[in-house]
Amino acid sequence: MAQIAEEAVVRKSVRVQVPVERAFSVFVEQMESWWPADHHIGAQPFQAIFVEPRVGGRWYERDAQGNECNWGTVLAWGPPHRVTLSWHLGPDWKFNPDLAKASEIEVRFTAEGPSTTLVELQHSGIERHGEGYEQLRALLDSPGAWETTLAEFAKVAR
Amino acid sequence: MAIFQKLAGGPMAVQELAGTLPVSRPAVSQHLRVLKDAGLVTGTKAGTRRLYQLNPEGIALLRAHFDQVWDKAMRAFEKSVEQPKTGEKHGTDRRRSRRS
Repeated sequence: MAQIAEEAVVRKSVRVQVPVERAFSVFVEQMESWWPADHHIGAQPFQAIFVEPRVGGRWYERDAQGNECNWGTVLAWGPPHRVTLSWHLGPDWKFNPDLAKASEIEVRFTAEGPSTTLVELQHSGIERHGEGYEQLRALLDSPGAWETTLAEFAKVAR
Repeated sequence: MAIFQKLAGGPMAVQELAGTLPVSRPAVSQHLRVLKDAGLVTGTKAGTRRLYQLNPEGIALLRAHFDQVWDKAMRAFEKSVEQPKTGEKHGTDRRRSRRS
């Protein structure tokens, strides 16, 4: 299990040429300016993504009609250096309120200079979304569905 | 899909798979490559042959999925954050969200 847990972590880092405060602010306050527009869970594309600035705050998207869809919850809030969010969306992009089935995203912002910031992201506990995987596998096992689903995977995996 | 279902029965080599399916060996290899890229199947060396099996936990698939999402997201973040400042977002909505 330890090995699986280790495998189920995604780490990304990026060095940006802005002060740490701005890096943090764009990350949590202007998420809709960079989040891939095709990854939304509402029926309509999102217009804005909100991270409420406190522990226990909501993380959610809102569409042009004002409909809101939850993504997760703020687990740790330490501006401008750290934010931790729970992620309740499986690979099927459906919300699962069960915290035991949620993964965790921790983002650290380190000032390397007055206008250089290292942003390190760790998405751990991905194995907890295993249910979504079972659904994917059921799709793959159903006759005819495989080709289209896999074509999507192939696009995603590349 | 046939390859996926065959492999559900246990590890198999390309030759065996091709022998039981109405498709050519190169076609089988190509499908296996896509399955491997997607993290659904793993390959292990057994002597001179390579055996393919399902990745039972699917962790690799999930990981590949999120890896791709974050790759895309972080690239976009880098681009967005280094752009000149943008205006206030959605007026009152934003302020309300901040104070809540």
